[in-house]
Amino acid sequence: MSTRIDLRRVLALAALWIGEANGAPVAPAHPLEAPAALKAAFAEHIGHPVNVLSFGFGEHYAQMLAQNAAAPDEFDEYEAVPGRALEPGRPKKAGEVDCRKKVPFAALDLDAGARALAQARTIAAANGYKVPENITLGADVFCADFGWRAILTSDSNDDAMLQVVWTPDGKSPKAQELHEDGWRKVDVATLLAGSAKVAPAAPKQEAKTVAGDGRRRDFLDGIDADLARLQAEIGAPLGFKHISVDRTQLSVDVFQRGNRKRVSTWLVDTDGAMKLWREDDTIPFDCNKPFATADFPLSRLPDLIGEAPTQIPSMPQAQVKDVAIYRSGLCGRPHVYIKLEDERGYGNVEYDDRGRLVSAEIQ
Amino acid sequence: MARIMTTAARATFVFALACVLAPEGASAQPAAADYAWPNLTDFLGRLIAKVGPPIKVYKLSIDRDGKVDLWIQDQAHPDLVDSWEYDHGRIEGPIPVKFDHYPSVAALDHHVIELTTIDFPRLPAMLATARTKLGLADARVVSIELERGDSSGFISVTDTPIWTIAVDTPRHDGRVEFDLQGRVLDVDKD
Repeated sequence: MSTRIDLRRVLALAALWIGEANGAPVAPAHPLEAPAALKAAFAEHIGHPVNVLSFGFGEHYAQMLAQNAAAPDEFDEYEAVPGRALEPGRPKKAGEVDCRKKVPFAALDLDAGARALAQARTIAAANGYKVPENITLGADVFCADFGWRAILTSDSNDDAMLQVVWTPDGKSPKAQELHEDGWRKVDVATLLAGSAKVAPAAPKQEAKTVAGDGRRRDFLDGIDADLARLQAEIGAPLGFKHISVDRTQLSVDVFQRGNRKRVSTWLVDTDGAMKLWREDDTIPFDCNKPFATADFPLSRLPDLIGEAPTQIPSMPQAQVKDVAIYRSGLCGRPHVYIKLEDERGYGNVEYDDRGRLVSAEIQ
Repeated sequence: MARIMTTAARATFVFALACVLAPEGASAQPAAADYAWPNLTDFLGRLIAKVGPPIKVYKLSIDRDGKVDLWIQDQAHPDLVDSWEYDHGRIEGPIPVKFDHYPSVAALDHHVIELTTIDFPRLPAMLATARTKLGLADARVVSIELERGDSSGFISVTDTPIWTIAVDTPRHDGRVEFDLQGRVLDVDKD
């Protein structure tokens, strides 16, 4: 044991004593090097038997969620800042404690936690992860696998995540990496040897954008010119799945030219800038039959939108909220759906593929 | 009908309502000192003076601070619901209520509760009962609401006016449902 650690232990115990003189125990200045002192400070501060549901700590902070052993419905959160007197516990509502896996405070092994954190830091350094600041004793999100848990992430790959879990006594470490298809086990010995490095992040594709023409638009006044611009950009007739329109944005879902099982979503903003926002696979059994500009009343759209509010007399103040064009019912002809809004609610007006009124009613 | 009620008839109605609201015939304000009960006699009296009876309540909410939000059916346009807010003596309204799916007039007629059938002086006793049933003697009011709906109790009561008193303490949340007669329908504690 080094002289430096001996000195720190002495200082920690001295701090505990000074704090006691003021009525509240003081957390050790270096919790990871004095876990026994940290535990003693919590024990004295709480003053009655408790169970520990979670305990997280590192150099700068410690936090515990405890259950009163004599009143299982009473939970309190305690915090410790190194070198400072412990604050009173804060009650936590029983309804907010979803998982009640626990260990008796007497069995809380902070030495094991400190050793586990040191091992997590070795793994992080050897494999390109960020050095974890804390380690936490507790259950996972499914209220299982109670133990010391370190979550490692990476600066070089935002998607990378490694979870290492030890038993409450700091033994039997298990590790798993997050992949697109879920968690995959990793051998801890391999990690300690630095042989399971973080995979480099996949290069991110810049969103395809086309500069606007500077003309300010209100899409409720017409979208034909912008659909023509989009068609010119794509270089082929547009096969629509869904068109959405409001005053400030035109959103167009089009089937991809070379792969009808993929849909591209293009957004056009008020100055005409176009952006390929996302690309998705089609949904099986959804209506995946494209429609063209000739299949719906494109040239009459501004008139249909303009007259829609008059179709529901009981909404005299109604304004057009948005417009959607897609195949009706079970993959029928494309219809125009106009949503109206006033201060009391909403209304829906539907036109068919030839611009004939289908329905107009309050929602 | 309400709009053409005479001044004398309106005054009579307000007086009758005040008597209904006033426990022991003295004041409508509950005696409990641990919750700032809103002055419902003042609010409802002034509201009746503004819109005239009958008042048909779609929903009533009182929050922790004693602010009241009362949704009533517009008797001149029975397909519409307006909100009236009362904040410690200040009335604001009518504020149009916006529904995601607007109910039909028939649905509104069925949903609303006639104001004269609501026994407001029961509220302090109901709050005390809620605290007792929950075992939370020092619980604070989170909200008090009245609306027609379904009780989630063991013996399910459906489509009936339900008072829901929600309370909390630093350690627990709880809510108790009552019917208009103050009978407990359900008790739920976290």
